[in-house]
Amino acid sequence: MGNLIVRKVGVLGAGVMGAQIAAHLVNVRVPVILFDLPAREGPKSGIARRAIEGLARLSPPPLAAADLASHIEAANYEEDLARLAECDLVIEAIAERMDWKLDLYRRIGPHLRADSIIASNTSGLSIATIGDALPEAMRSRFCGIHFFNPPRYMTLVELIATPRTDAGLLDALETFLVTTVGKGVVRAKDTPNFIANRYGIFSMIATMENAERFGLGFDTVDDLTGTRLARAKSATFRTADVVGLDTMAHVIRTMAETLPADPWHRYFRSPDWMQALIDRGALGQKTRAGIFSKPGKDILVLDRSSGEYVASTGSASDAVKAILKIGSATERFAALRASDDPQARFLWAIQRDLFHYCAFHLASVADNARDVDLALRWGFGWSSGPFETWQAAGWQQIARWINEDIAAGVAMSDAPLPAWVTEPGRTGVHDASGSFSATRGTTVARSSLPVYRRQAFAPLVSGERVAERGQTVFENAGVRLWTGIEATGQDIAVLGFRTKMNIIDPNVLQGIAEALAIAERDFRGVVIWQTGDHFSLGADLASMGSLIEAGRFDEIDHIIARFQQTSLSLRDAQVPVVAAVRGMALGGGCEFALHTARIVATLESNLGLVETGVGLIPGGGGCKELALRAAREAASTRTASGAAWLFDFVRPRFETVARATTARSAEDARALGLLRPADVVIANPHELLHVAATLARGLADTGWRPPLPVQPFAVMGANGIATLQAQLVNLRDGGFISAHDHTVGMALAEALCGGAVAEGSLVDERWMLDLERGLFVDLLRNPLTQARIKHTLATGKPLRN
Amino acid sequence: MPRQIEEAYVVAATRTPIGKSHRGAFRDTRPDDLLAFALRAVLAQVPELDPATIEDVVVGCALPEGVQGYNVARIGLLLAGLPDTAGGITINRFCSSGLNAISMAADRIRCGEADVMIAAGAESMSMVPMSGHHPSFNTRIYTDENYGIAYGMGMTAERVARQWKVSREAQDAFALQSHQRALAAQAAGEFTEISPFEVVDSLPNLHSRQIERRTRTVMQDEGPRADTSAEALARLRPVFATQGSVTAGNASQTSDGAGALVLMSGKALARLNITPIARFASFAVVGVPPEVMGIGPKAAIPKALERAGIRQDDLDWIELNEAFAAQALAVMNELGLDPARVNPLGGAIALGHPLGATGAIRSAQLIHGLQRRKARYGMVSMCVGTGMGAAGIFERV
Repeated sequence: MGNLIVRKVGVLGAGVMGAQIAAHLVNVRVPVILFDLPAREGPKSGIARRAIEGLARLSPPPLAAADLASHIEAANYEEDLARLAECDLVIEAIAERMDWKLDLYRRIGPHLRADSIIASNTSGLSIATIGDALPEAMRSRFCGIHFFNPPRYMTLVELIATPRTDAGLLDALETFLVTTVGKGVVRAKDTPNFIANRYGIFSMIATMENAERFGLGFDTVDDLTGTRLARAKSATFRTADVVGLDTMAHVIRTMAETLPADPWHRYFRSPDWMQALIDRGALGQKTRAGIFSKPGKDILVLDRSSGEYVASTGSASDAVKAILKIGSATERFAALRASDDPQARFLWAIQRDLFHYCAFHLASVADNARDVDLALRWGFGWSSGPFETWQAAGWQQIARWINEDIAAGVAMSDAPLPAWVTEPGRTGVHDASGSFSATRGTTVARSSLPVYRRQAFAPLVSGERVAERGQTVFENAGVRLWTGIEATGQDIAVLGFRTKMNIIDPNVLQGIAEALAIAERDFRGVVIWQTGDHFSLGADLASMGSLIEAGRFDEIDHIIARFQQTSLSLRDAQVPVVAAVRGMALGGGCEFALHTARIVATLESNLGLVETGVGLIPGGGGCKELALRAAREAASTRTASGAAWLFDFVRPRFETVARATTARSAEDARALGLLRPADVVIANPHELLHVAATLARGLADTGWRPPLPVQPFAVMGANGIATLQAQLVNLRDGGFISAHDHTVGMALAEALCGGAVAEGSLVDERWMLDLERGLFVDLLRNPLTQARIKHTLATGKPLRN
Repeated sequence: MPRQIEEAYVVAATRTPIGKSHRGAFRDTRPDDLLAFALRAVLAQVPELDPATIEDVVVGCALPEGVQGYNVARIGLLLAGLPDTAGGITINRFCSSGLNAISMAADRIRCGEADVMIAAGAESMSMVPMSGHHPSFNTRIYTDENYGIAYGMGMTAERVARQWKVSREAQDAFALQSHQRALAAQAAGEFTEISPFEVVDSLPNLHSRQIERRTRTVMQDEGPRADTSAEALARLRPVFATQGSVTAGNASQTSDGAGALVLMSGKALARLNITPIARFASFAVVGVPPEVMGIGPKAAIPKALERAGIRQDDLDWIELNEAFAAQALAVMNELGLDPARVNPLGGAIALGHPLGATGAIRSAQLIHGLQRRKARYGMVSMCVGTGMGAAGIFERV
């Protein structure tokens, strides 16, 4: 298979999905031409232009950095179809109307390049039927490509082949989607609504049906079916509001029309209350009212019987909360089913009907059970898919209960479970060799596409093989240094923290020192890579808290000094240290990353020096590093009006840290100066370790030397402090910040300006480190900072005092 | 004791239209070009005058740096084609720079050391930001007395609003009136002092790969908004303080523009047989605490009146610069200025405020207005950042 070259993508349709797909493509540095109908008035590409402008107003933001929007070109079908020849991939995402789609495909056919790929982002229409509207020669280069809303944030893309789709092309597209676009790809069959929506929407239908049966309100159901069930926070009905009730109704109608023989067909109708809401224009989030509404401060919920909005008070009962806390899935399911509490029986019922439905249709909808579980995790935000949940709860026991309920007539359908479910010896659908395929009647291993070899830690479903651990080289209470998996070979060592949220405590500091010494001796490079979702939440404030109470500030000063030494040691190690960042890298975690040879960050990572939130400033070398970067940038920059002025490089960094700004993406971190030009941004978090290890090895191969010692550099001194103080004074006296914010801001100004010295004075690294450490400890002595720390530790939220 | 041995007369006055900064007509027009144009235009009004007799050109500019640095007065007069024998000096007292240029030019005449002087003002807020390219404060300003130096101008307006009890509603109503008066004056053709300016923009055309020259003639001020309303103004959020009342709608607009006046001694008038249009009667400047700089005119106006030997009621026309509605109203209330005589053609909230040029621009507007309406005494006054008020009085002759 040769390389799939995607220089530019054409996206047809600038609606909610089309525009957001375009946005995400430019997020991953793929330029886009976004097409829509010609505007009746004004410039012909006005519709697409307005959609691009509208991206800035969407929440969560589709663009990883605002200026990326300029890489989406607006176009229209009347003037610009010839420009399709520039596009290596064309994604159609127009409204879900088969006649409109067919018409558009006939029009674009003549303009497509013979070697381009065309794919439809339909969420449920027949891919084969759409493809037939293309010229004969293009049909092998056509498939379905189903993104989930919002496409930047939802992992899932379903790829759907037609009988004519070229298999190699599909493999190449999957590779592109996984590595370049950062998505989780599931191959789906060309059946209505494909996999995730077919099961996910059914799950919502079953939830609505059982809610009626058990007489539960929408608010109660959402409290039960969200995080308590390890599903998305928006649970069932808030998800419906977000999706839009009109869209929900449309999808359900599609199921009714296209699945006449489905044994659950009689449930494929919108409930009366939903139709009533639609009729009165309450479509959910987009109209600010749906099943829930928030006219003032409080959230209201629709009362099914009266049709009025009432205060939202329903929540899980204590009995159910207790059951859901049971650790063993087997016991949890047994307790739910045996309980007299209607909420408990409801929770059993919705899962029973979902398992029943999933098993019944597995053969026709998906190649195997793993694809179903991953599709629902990635497309609906569940932590666990239906099959793996079932398997963890005890396959045969659950199957018996489902059969009992079918026999008793309480299951939604009396369709029998397929024979494979209860065949002797079956303990589930996932095992070390793969996942069960009902179509093939056998277990199917994971994809052998080379792209998946880049995923050192693939997203495994429960019951599948156990993730590798590698060989431990060294560990203490704070860190583990290990190696020996395919991504690392035997020459790259991986350093991971073992603390909660990877916070940095004295054990971590000690561990890093020992690990680096070992790595310098026995390895060619080090990757700091964490097993959790976050890189590190920073320094361990709790242990700091007890030292404060004991008044042991000398000891704190000593710890901060070690913190600073650790930062420097990451930079000065004789082997390259690469930080593999995903999720949050805050405070001390960010300071460590800033000092490594390179950062490899996933697009969805959040770096930030957020110390001011707890009344502190960066003390682990962060202020020093920002001041140094400012000085170097200023020295190497000339502006139109001559030499650059250092203050212009200090001020934005001051503002970023003073506001405790957390970068909203890796591209945002670049704009904030937290990523350097040589730092690397990747799209797929599962490839993080592979890329970081490869980069570490590459740096070693090019003859890595740590940077030469930092020579004295210029600081802004007193003039800089005074000028930054002007901003603080205006904010304080305008009521925007508190007096203590001003105090903290002044400490930051001093730390970034090198103290009250003459402007342009040359200082060394030691000067800056001593300064920031002294200011840090001074702030720790301040009762207002102490109150902030205490409050944050107790509540997890910042205190404004 | 006589303060002067000569009278200083204004014989010509003009100004450019005022452009909105950053998105207006002059966003790509250099301030030295605006200045040179104003100088040529004002000299064209006195063809009898031999430019070789011009002693000095005093130019007010609030941020004389970057494109308006390097002594923009001298650059501007040379670009205007004045003989190189004429001197050029750039002066700065922020918002009163243009008025101070007039008073300094007049003083040279009044003490008998010059016969012909030019006073002007020029500012491009598009090209030089409000706090300059390199704002840098002294650490020692943060004392109780002086920390107001660090205040943004909007913050000082909030302080004035609070101390002199100027409500949000009053500020918005004043702002609305400024726009309404300005629009009415434009419709009535009252801005006779304006010299239309031909803008020539040279921009890269990325399609044709050519430099595209675009010219258009700007006839009037860009600031007045017909689409503003009490409701629209009330919707704007305070910018400078969480509990504040000062908004973008009741503050002056940032602008680009220039103005120029020719001043001559009585002796020279007689020699050349030129009829003056105004006599420069007096000038005063007074300092106030920096954090309430907007109240400055309250102190300066009585002093200027006293020096001119007239009473407040003798003033037929008052150009009180609307840096902020809050401070303008506080000054009017404190001194009991007649609202009908203050800014009859609207003020900086509607017309714009190109900092250092404003004094020259408003003086040109006032002097032409006094002529049109056959009124006698007029005054230009403004508050000044870091805490001052300035006032200058003209008498139509």
